[in-house]
Amino acid sequence: MRKFNKDLIFGLYDDETDLMAAVKSAKKDHLEIYDVYSPFPVHGLDPILGLSESRLHIAGFIYGALGALTAFLGMTWIFTMDWPIIFGGKPYWSVPAFIPITFELTVLFAAIGMTVTFYVINGQGPGVTNPVLHDRITDDKFCLAFDTHHVEVNDAEAFFEKTGASLVDRKNI
Amino acid sequence: MTTYTIPSRQRNLLVAGMIIGILCLALSWFSDTDGQHTRFWSNFLHNSVFFTGIALMALFFYSVCNTAWAGWHVQFKRVWEAMGLFLGAGLILMAIMALGLIFGWHHLYHWADSASVESDSILQHKSSFLNPTWYIISIVIIGVWYFFARKLRSFSVTEDEQGGLKDFKLHIKSRWWTAGFLPIAGFSSALVIWQWVMSIDAHWYSTLFAWYSGASLFVSMIAMTILILIYMKSNGYYQNVSMEHFHDLGKFLFAFSIFWTYLWFSQYMLIWYSNNGEETVYFNTRHDQYPVLFYANLAINFLVPFFILMRNDTKRKYGSLIITSLLVIFGHWLDFFLMIKPGAAHTAHELAGHGEHHGHGGAMPDEHAAEAGHHGVEAAGSHGADAGHAAEAALHGGSSFEAGFTIPGFIELGTMIGFLCLFLYVFYTYMGRANLVAKNDPYLSESLHHHV
Repeated sequence: MRKFNKDLIFGLYDDETDLMAAVKSAKKDHLEIYDVYSPFPVHGLDPILGLSESRLHIAGFIYGALGALTAFLGMTWIFTMDWPIIFGGKPYWSVPAFIPITFELTVLFAAIGMTVTFYVINGQGPGVTNPVLHDRITDDKFCLAFDTHHVEVNDAEAFFEKTGASLVDRKNI
Repeated sequence: MTTYTIPSRQRNLLVAGMIIGILCLALSWFSDTDGQHTRFWSNFLHNSVFFTGIALMALFFYSVCNTAWAGWHVQFKRVWEAMGLFLGAGLILMAIMALGLIFGWHHLYHWADSASVESDSILQHKSSFLNPTWYIISIVIIGVWYFFARKLRSFSVTEDEQGGLKDFKLHIKSRWWTAGFLPIAGFSSALVIWQWVMSIDAHWYSTLFAWYSGASLFVSMIAMTILILIYMKSNGYYQNVSMEHFHDLGKFLFAFSIFWTYLWFSQYMLIWYSNNGEETVYFNTRHDQYPVLFYANLAINFLVPFFILMRNDTKRKYGSLIITSLLVIFGHWLDFFLMIKPGAAHTAHELAGHGEHHGHGGAMPDEHAAEAGHHGVEAAGSHGADAGHAAEAALHGGSSFEAGFTIPGFIELGTMIGFLCLFLYVFYTYMGRANLVAKNDPYLSESLHHHV
């Protein structure tokens, strides 16, 4: 189990609309949200939370371009310099024949590169387990958590009362 | 604003555009010196097919969305309904082509010339499909499409009066009709495009052609939808069509541009690889005599949308969407130019040469001599290539067809503007005849709250 050394106070909501309302109200009260957990991606939550757009697709473009170059230059080198063979009476440097493999390697590099980047950035990997604040977060409850270093416990409890959380709890992770 | 009325200034502009189109058509008719008016008829066919195809694709995609219970498009589904109703005009335009074929007004189709067919075993074998009867059937098929367009439109408009969240009858009925339309459109559109466009290169065939040209028309239709919606929104209509909807349309533009490239390349590579004379003649002509268009086609229709629309934010900005849509519509218009013109020019030369130097290639008919030449090019032998070019030069030397054939001239662009204005005129006329938003569609609320 990974340790984050955080003392969290969190509330569970029954519905994603309650969660959205709570997030908006927390933003208005200037309470610093530690994180939000939900069983499924909630539409429109990211902009309310003020999360910046993921830059993973930029990495994906770079990996894809790298894959395309690898395939194209690799085949160029192999078929013109290293081991030139005539296939079907075509010239050594037959660009149309290189396109399918260039496409495949573009996809392969982008897919593997993005997956690995995603796991590395998020500290995930084989055997890593993460603490779960409450089991029902993975089922049907929506959770909003504050870090007690940044938000007073009293303020947080009053906030959860106000926004109608069905359960409030504290946990060290 | 719930209904649309064409402002008189816009109406005048569209009429002016149509007049330009008519003038250009007349100019191409009278500037022809060969007596066959190939430039006029190929321009006419090119633009008729292009805009009729856009109308079909609008109706097709409307049916796809309706059959798939999609909700995101419902706000602006009247746009696709009105675009689909252009099929009525397309019916008239293509009927003129069919009459021309029957009465011999034009000689675009090599297979329609009985003297050529007699001396040509390939055309004889194909004559069970490539004949005027089947051409008339293709016109009947547009009539069937137009019937569906009217029917679906009437369901949708009647729903404004009687439908609602308590009465889905009309919606369910229209879903049966759209589901029935999809297979009909799928099979019949292939047949029609073979007749209209692929058979211009009468010896050549490609099993991918229907998909390839269909993808071309689909991308043009999406680009047209984006431009029309942006225009109408900036004039105060469709205020609830948000960036979310444009984002989705942008994704379709992006994805189907790649799909088009995939099909273009699949067709190209298989023909390049198998290297059969009767297949490579198509690309050999286009690559050697139309190199600018050949590569511009790929650059405009693949590289531009691919690199501009790759990012998330460019699909959500008017500027990048407008630039890409304009370029892509023009690019696919060029694509159809490249499908139609070389074959039409070739047929015109062929027919012009029939009387004077019949048997020019010795025992072989002209067509076969040319193909033997092409074969030589593909075999990568240097003397073969020379022979091929010599054959080409013999075919095209001293001809009057180059202007407006190897690259679109002002007449072609003017004709395009004329047909575009006709398309928009018909479109806006139908837009004005019903509410802009289908207010009783059960999925309207989903469309209003659409979020990507």
